[in-house]
Amino acid sequence: MKPSEKLIQTIREQGVTPVPRWRFTLKNVLLWSAFAAASLLGALAFSIILFAVQQTDFQVISHLSHSRLELFLGLLPFFWIILLIIFLIIAIYSVQYAPKGYKLTLARLVGYSAALSILLGTLFFIGGGAQRIEQAFAVNVGLYESIQEKKIKLWSMPEEGYLSGEIEQTSLGAFQLKDFEGQLWTVEYKKAFIPPVVLLERGEKVKLIGTIAGPGRFVATEVRPWGGLERNGRERRK
Amino acid sequence: MHFTKDICRQLSDLEIIHKSLEQVDYFSCLYERYEASLLRYVKRMGVVAEEEAQDVLQEAFIKIWKNLHAFDPSLKLSSWLYRIVHNQAISCLRKKQSFGKGRETDFDEGLLAHIPDDDSGENSPEALEEKDQRTRELIDQLPLPYKEVIVLKFLEDLSYEEISDVLKIPEGTVATRINRAKKALRKLSAQPTF
Repeated sequence: MKPSEKLIQTIREQGVTPVPRWRFTLKNVLLWSAFAAASLLGALAFSIILFAVQQTDFQVISHLSHSRLELFLGLLPFFWIILLIIFLIIAIYSVQYAPKGYKLTLARLVGYSAALSILLGTLFFIGGGAQRIEQAFAVNVGLYESIQEKKIKLWSMPEEGYLSGEIEQTSLGAFQLKDFEGQLWTVEYKKAFIPPVVLLERGEKVKLIGTIAGPGRFVATEVRPWGGLERNGRERRK
Repeated sequence: MHFTKDICRQLSDLEIIHKSLEQVDYFSCLYERYEASLLRYVKRMGVVAEEEAQDVLQEAFIKIWKNLHAFDPSLKLSSWLYRIVHNQAISCLRKKQSFGKGRETDFDEGLLAHIPDDDSGENSPEALEEKDQRTRELIDQLPLPYKEVIVLKFLEDLSYEEISDVLKIPEGTVATRINRAKKALRKLSAQPTF
């Protein structure tokens, strides 16, 4: 018997049938869907990383007297960086196994996936979506330490010269500040640099650079808006 | 029902695939069209025994039959067939756990002309024959990633694009592996034989 005849006989005897086309189509659709989802989630993670970087005063860390590296590492949004890496790996893996995905080198795959996540993530960040997602995450995930919490931690070191909170009362050359742990401080700001965007009035959230002048007393050399220069983070009490 | 060579000859690869899906007997046309080249390739990859190589080809064609709907017409059919046959041959060799040891491959006389060699001064038939035998042994000593590109490029005469489709690696990687394989061959050829 010729080998070709043997082959047909085997196919007939074993009842081997071709796998239906829809299974291959479904596999490809799943791979491309995984790529799209991973790219989108990677973009969201990147936008939150951008938000974290924008919100963190990294230059402040260089003035701290101790544990700079520890604090710096503590402030990095590791959770989102790890998520971004995971989503990038999923995106790369799904393209590699998609039809003709093998044509792209690993370097190109990494480059294209990262570029897509960076582009979409930046657009999402500009649109303000990053902050909303991050806040929603902080509210709904108990173990998650939000960027805001990290920021409060950094700006709640009066002995290091960093204090933050909400203005309770104002008077000439001084105001009363309630820090985020609830402690009241009398802050002197006569010699402080205050950018025009800061309004020294009740309800204003600010961060201060200066020195402790005594129990519950702080002399500010700089008063900054809490939320950054664009948004200013004002949530006024009515 | 078995088709004569004349009937098969009139059909293109794609027509054979379409007709096979309607009537399995047409699948024998595909087998016969590629049998010789694929069988030679299986042997060159290290499955040297005729019966064993035939088994590899039969099993590979059953896989081809099962996955007939997965064939992407933008690829050359031969590349797709080589890919499945290649995987089946490697799988067979791995099962045997004696891959690449003391094997000989079916060797093409023109190989040495394609693989540049620094000491190509000796051109007598005896010297060439000896050289062919030596190169054959050297290819068998290469690690699998190098051996497969050398076999596909210089023995099967496939293009970089076709090798890329067979091995599912980027064309740049194919080129790099071929260069490294050539260097490895030269290095091996410089070693004394015992």
